[in-house]
Amino acid sequence: MSNYTILRPDHHQNLCVDMSRSAALGDEVSQVLTYPLEFRDIQSCYPIFFTKDSETGAFMPVALLGLNTGQNLFMINDAWDAHYIPKLIERNPFLIARPANANPNQTSQPKLSIDLDSPRVTEDRGEALFDSAGAPTDFLENIIAMMQRIHQGLEHGAQLSQALVAHELLEPMTVNLTLADGESKVLEGFYAIAEETLFNLSGEALQTLNQAGFLQPIYMAIASFSRLNDLMARSNSAKQQRAESL
Amino acid sequence: MTDSINQIVIVGGGSAGWLTAAIIAAEYETQPTADPAGIPLTITLIESPSISTIGVGEGTWPSMRTTLQKIGITETEFISRCDASFKQGTAFRNWHHSDDSGYVHPFTPPLGYEELDLAGHWLSHPHRPPFAEAVGTQAAVSKSHLAPKQITTPEYAFNVNYGYHLNAGKFAQLLQEHCVQRLGVHHVRANVIGITSHENGDIKALQTDTANSIPGDLFIDCSGMNSLLLGTHYNIPFHNVDHILFNNSAIAAQIDYQNPTDPIESCTLSTAHSAGWIWDIGLPTRRGIGCVYSDQFMNRDQAAAKLKSYIASTVSPDAGNSAALREIRFNPGYRQKFWHRNCVAVGMAAGFIEPLEASALVMVELSANMIATQLPADRSAMQRLEQQFNAKFEYRWHHIIEFLKLHYVLNERSDSDYWVQNRAASSIPDGLQTALKNWQHRGPWHHETQHADDLFPSASYQYVLYGMGFAPQPDPRLKRRAKDQAHRAMALFKENEEMTRQLLAALPDNRSLIDKVGLHGFPKI
Repeated sequence: MSNYTILRPDHHQNLCVDMSRSAALGDEVSQVLTYPLEFRDIQSCYPIFFTKDSETGAFMPVALLGLNTGQNLFMINDAWDAHYIPKLIERNPFLIARPANANPNQTSQPKLSIDLDSPRVTEDRGEALFDSAGAPTDFLENIIAMMQRIHQGLEHGAQLSQALVAHELLEPMTVNLTLADGESKVLEGFYAIAEETLFNLSGEALQTLNQAGFLQPIYMAIASFSRLNDLMARSNSAKQQRAESL
Repeated sequence: MTDSINQIVIVGGGSAGWLTAAIIAAEYETQPTADPAGIPLTITLIESPSISTIGVGEGTWPSMRTTLQKIGITETEFISRCDASFKQGTAFRNWHHSDDSGYVHPFTPPLGYEELDLAGHWLSHPHRPPFAEAVGTQAAVSKSHLAPKQITTPEYAFNVNYGYHLNAGKFAQLLQEHCVQRLGVHHVRANVIGITSHENGDIKALQTDTANSIPGDLFIDCSGMNSLLLGTHYNIPFHNVDHILFNNSAIAAQIDYQNPTDPIESCTLSTAHSAGWIWDIGLPTRRGIGCVYSDQFMNRDQAAAKLKSYIASTVSPDAGNSAALREIRFNPGYRQKFWHRNCVAVGMAAGFIEPLEASALVMVELSANMIATQLPADRSAMQRLEQQFNAKFEYRWHHIIEFLKLHYVLNERSDSDYWVQNRAASSIPDGLQTALKNWQHRGPWHHETQHADDLFPSASYQYVLYGMGFAPQPDPRLKRRAKDQAHRAMALFKENEEMTRQLLAALPDNRSLIDKVGLHGFPKI
C-alpha cells in the first residue's frame, strides 16, 4: 500500500531515493497514466488508450505496457527496453498532491509528496534529497521541476478528456489479438478516438480543439495504435523465451 | 373542421400528465421545422393550481430507464433532481407466516432461464438457500445494500437490472420543466370548469376558469381519481375489485434517517401486517413509509398504530411518535373502458390498485407509449385504436390483479380474518384458481406467458410462488435427459455463486454511488 506524505526537510532530512528501473522496485505494471503533452513521445513506443478512473468514472489516457495485469513487456532483465520511458514511471516514488484544506472553498497549493512505503525510499541507497544544511539537492530540484511539468500535463489531460467527451470523440474499443501460438487475447474496458466523428467535425470544433492544444494529441493517440503490433511481437518473443528456458 | 389529429390536450399535472406529455412530445415535433409540408403536433397540458397531486407513487420498473432516455433526460440530472435511488426489486416479509424470513422478487430472471428451468432442481435439494439467492445474484446484492452498478458504468446501463425509487413531487416538477423548456409543451394553469362537445359526443374543447377555452382533437384524462373526463363527463363505469384485493386505504409518512450515512435499501420493503402491509421506500434523503390496509378489517387508528410501531422499530421511537401522517382512500379497480370517443384516461383516472408491485407508473409509460406510437392520423382511424387500447389494457389490469392476488393466496397466517379471507376461493379470480391447480403438477415457466409484452414475465410468478413456499409435486415419469439437465443445473448454481461473489466484491453501496453521481455524474459512454 502507498503511503504518500508531503515532503518536508525537517522530517525527511536523511532520505535517499533509488530511481533505477527494476521489477523489484515496482516497475512491473501493465499500463501507466500519461498526458497529452507527452503523447508525441509515448506514441513512438506504446499504444495510447483511454480508460475510466474507477473512483470517479472520468476518462484518463494510459500507455499500454503489457497484455496481462502486472506484465510489463518493456522490462527485460531489469532494464527498460525502449528509447522513451513514460514520465509517470520515471517519477516514482514522487507525487504531486493537494492536501485536504480546512476551508472547503479554497483549493490548496499542490505539494510534492513521497511514498514512504516504496522500496525505493531508504536512508542509504540512491540519491540524497537534502544536503547537510537541509536544503534540497540538485537532484531534488530537478525532480521538483519534472513534477511541476507532470502536474500541469495531467491537468491539461483532464481537460482533454472532458473535451473528448463533449465532442463525442471517444468510443469503446475491444481489442482482439491473436498471438503467435494461437492464444487469443481480448483487451476490454478501453476507449479510443472515434475517427469517423473526428473526420466530420466542423471547422469551428477543430479550431477550438486546436487552440486548446488538443488536436495534436488526438492524432498522436490515433498514430499510437500501430504500436499494438510491437506489443504483440514482444509478447510472442517473451513467451518463446519462457518456453525455451523450460 | 379538419379531421386530422394535431392538437393533444392533457388534463392533470402529476406524474401521469407530465410523463404522458413528455413521451408524446419526444415522438413528435411540437414546433414547425424546415419541412414546409410537415405539421407539428400541439400538446397542451392543463393543470389545476388548487388540486394537489396524490403525493406518493415512488417506485418504478426498469422500463423507466428507457423512458427517461427517450424523453432526453440524463440519468445524472434525474438522480440529483428527484432524490432518486436504485430499486432492484421488492423484499416481502411476513406474507407467508406472521413472522417469517421473507423473500425477494428481483428484476432479473433466474440464471439460464432461456434454456433450463432451475426451479425443479432447486426444489430437489433439501438444504437449499432461498430461491432468489440460488438462481440469481440480485437478492444477495440487495441484502448488502449494494448498488446495481458502478460510477464507471455508462448512464442507464447496469451490472444488475434496476428501476428507481424517487420523490414523486420532484419528478413531476422535473418533467414539467423539461416538457415546457425543451419539448415545446404548452402549460396552462387553470381549472377545467366545463366541457363543450361535438354533435357526435366527442369532446370539442375544455372551458377553464382563468384561461381561454382550449380546443383539441384528442383529450387525455390524467386528472387522477377525479377522472374528470372519462369518469365524470362520460360516466364510464368503474369496475371495483375489492372482493379480490381487499385493501382500500393507506396512511403515508416521510421519515428522516437517524444518521445521514445510514444505508439505503436496494429494494422496496413490503412487510405484511394483520390487515394489509407496510411499504418502506429508501431515498437518499428520507424513507417513504406507508401502511396499506382494508377498512373492512381494520380502522384508521389501528392502521396508524401499525405504521407508528413499524417506524418506531425500524427507525427510532421518536420518529414513530412525531411522524406527520397523510391519509389516502382509494377504490381498487379500473374503468370498464379507458378510451372512449376522442378521450383516453392514463394513470389513476384509468384505475388504481395497491402499489404492491409498483405497477402504477409502468402503466402510465405503457399507455403513453401506445398513444405516441399509434397516434391515429385522423378521427376515423381513432376508432380502431380505441378498441385495441381498451382490449390491451383491460387484459393488463386483469393480469395485474391476478398477479397481486397471487401474493395473498398462499399465505398461511391464521392471526386474523383478513388473511383467512384472502385464501377464500370466492376472492380468487377463476384464471388464478385454474393456474394454481395446474402449477401443482408443473410450475410456471415460458409456457405461462400469454403475450410477448406481458407485464409480468413468468419468472415473476416463480419468485412469488417459491418465495411463498409453494412446491409443485415432482413428476414421477422418467425423463431421458434427467442426468444431463441435473448436471447443467449444478453448473448454473455454481456459476451463480461465483457471479454473486464477484458482484459483492465489485459493487459500491447505494449511498456511496449516489454521492459520487452527485460529484462526478455518470459517464455518457
